[in-house]
Amino acid sequence: MCFQISILNSQFQILMSFDTFLNLFAASILTAGLYATMSYGLALIYGVMKLTNLSHAGVLMLAAYGTYWLNTLGISPYLAPFIVVPLWFGIGIVWQHTLVKRIMLMPPIASLLFFFGIWLIMQNFAYLVFKSDIRSITNEATLLTYKLGPLVLSQNRLIVFFAGITALVSLQLFLTRTYQGRAIRALAADAEAARLSGIDTDRISALAFGLGIALAAFAGCLMALIFAFDPEFGRSHLLKSFCIVVLGGLESFVGVALGAIMLALAENFSIQFMPAALQDMVSFVLLVIVLLTIPNGLMSLLKGKK
Amino acid sequence: MNRRKFLKISLASAGALTAAACGGSSSAAPAEIHFGAGLPLTGGQAREGSLFKKGYELAAKEVNDTGGLMIKEFNKKIPVKLTMLDDKSDPTASVQVYEKLATEDKVNFFLGGYSTPLVQAHSIVPQKYSIPYVNGGGSTGEIYQRNNKWIFGLITNIERLATTLIKFIAAQQDAGKLPKPVKIALLVENTSHGKEFVKGVEDAQKASPDRYQVVLNEAFELNIKDADPLMQKLKATNADVFLCDARVADYTTIHRRYVELGLKHKVVSYGPRGPEKAARDAIGAGSNYIVAANWWNSALVDEPSKAFTAKYKAAYANEDPEWFAALGYETARVMFAAIEQAGTLDKTKVRDAIAATKMKPSLVIGGEVSFDTDGQIKNDYMMTQNLPDGKVAVIWPSTLASQAAIVPIP
Repeated sequence: MCFQISILNSQFQILMSFDTFLNLFAASILTAGLYATMSYGLALIYGVMKLTNLSHAGVLMLAAYGTYWLNTLGISPYLAPFIVVPLWFGIGIVWQHTLVKRIMLMPPIASLLFFFGIWLIMQNFAYLVFKSDIRSITNEATLLTYKLGPLVLSQNRLIVFFAGITALVSLQLFLTRTYQGRAIRALAADAEAARLSGIDTDRISALAFGLGIALAAFAGCLMALIFAFDPEFGRSHLLKSFCIVVLGGLESFVGVALGAIMLALAENFSIQFMPAALQDMVSFVLLVIVLLTIPNGLMSLLKGKK
Repeated sequence: MNRRKFLKISLASAGALTAAACGGSSSAAPAEIHFGAGLPLTGGQAREGSLFKKGYELAAKEVNDTGGLMIKEFNKKIPVKLTMLDDKSDPTASVQVYEKLATEDKVNFFLGGYSTPLVQAHSIVPQKYSIPYVNGGGSTGEIYQRNNKWIFGLITNIERLATTLIKFIAAQQDAGKLPKPVKIALLVENTSHGKEFVKGVEDAQKASPDRYQVVLNEAFELNIKDADPLMQKLKATNADVFLCDARVADYTTIHRRYVELGLKHKVVSYGPRGPEKAARDAIGAGSNYIVAANWWNSALVDEPSKAFTAKYKAAYANEDPEWFAALGYETARVMFAAIEQAGTLDKTKVRDAIAATKMKPSLVIGGEVSFDTDGQIKNDYMMTQNLPDGKVAVIWPSTLASQAAIVPIP
């Protein structure tokens, strides 16, 4: 392309070609799809149950291994979510009935420690079963790219992006068009009022928790298509998810999607004019800025309240 | 002379003769010589740590099969015993493990750990307890530049690794396979390992600006999860050569995204990484033609390497040895040889014997182990190139090469 975009910095000037800008923008949007998908589960569980699920990272990691393991059995990684996600939904329900509901009434530190402990158990389980070798799902299909003019788009990233969009739309439809979805929203808004209006809060809590875990597992399946992983996988993504959920506003899925876009754009563009070693810092700087300026998240801006 | 005096003299003479027959030592020989090592047996580097463990065990078994190490002071062979503890791939735990080996297990000598950050952390312990320490897992020169007289390293520093790659690039330029000047994109991990790598390349650029032009010089944090922004930056540079200094996990993550984006350079190297089976399995055909500068590879066909590969395969179910196991084996051999040379278990004398080591033949490149005054070996690197179907060829130096390098990458 014949023109350039100038980004002026107080100390120096960076010239970025239009091709680079376009590729960065596209990469940011595709990455945002993944970021949003990996944050929905965390937002749902926090929104409904006010629990910070630190084991979210463990579910991402074990779901990635699940996809890998199914792939070794000859099941396409694109079909793996149809097996892995329902399985984790079931695990989430059982988990909520047996363990989580006991800690819901305890001080927040108890639930934080509980979920942290679960995460450590998951990691050690993965070390025991899968060892520390780095794994990745690689075949011709996963490495396929499409060239659209100056744009280079990876098939996997496109699939992950559209899967993320599908998850967002499905989640919104479920929460607005079904009885269970409306009950989840009622529970999130006011648990006592929901109970008084006849909602079986135990059952709906279990459903919400199972759904949150299933969404994390779905993200883990998608991430296995893109990233190499080991038992430590998920740690940095958990931190990003926290950042996105706070950016978007703690209880809004559209806000989560907006937060994901904002973070992905900030990460991808900032690295072009600052050291790559500071990439992880971007999310935390963004988090601090948002907490100081718009503590209720991006959605509060759209709704006109700070 | 009365009878009582005669008896005293006779008993004293008998005692002296017995002591002389036992080698003249006043102390009894220990039942075993105890070696301690802290290795990452769980956590992120468990795979590499377990390979070092196999190398140590193989060397110890070889010695024990012949009765042990011959110690002149006791005029007998003494078996060796290994205690290998897990540092969980954590630098802090690594220091604690070596402290425990020194104070609770009371080992005679230390064998080293893996990787550079862990060795950097725990290598203060040998000096604290005056226990000789030999390792094959810590490469950065910083470890050895702290005037620590008790540590020795069998893998040469990272600056030399960069220099080896630069010499290789110069040879390709001279053969007309790379342009002059060649545009180099440099990505390194944000550690002393990475900094030494950058220094090696930058020194070359300063010395020969007509040959080398660094167009990107970026550091990234360890355990990078998404290399996309970094690869977008790399893409914008239009470099001829892509050099990256990375651990196996980061090599896998970065190169996977590199392949996805359809990037291509005439030469691609991840420093010492490249031929690792786990990484190649994870990247697939995208790992073909990557060149690596390394300390050892099973593709080497010199006699010591062939012998080690055969022994290792026989001991470990036909598993192909990687450099981690080879350097573990050689580390233990250097320590054993120095103890036999010293003829004593006296720690200071053994340390001096290690410092004076001239061991050959050896698996290290150059065929001889000897240490510089700072305790680190200063030999050359060899280079490999990944070939299709998981094969690896030795391409550098020419004396060891099994074939010419394929440059530019097809």
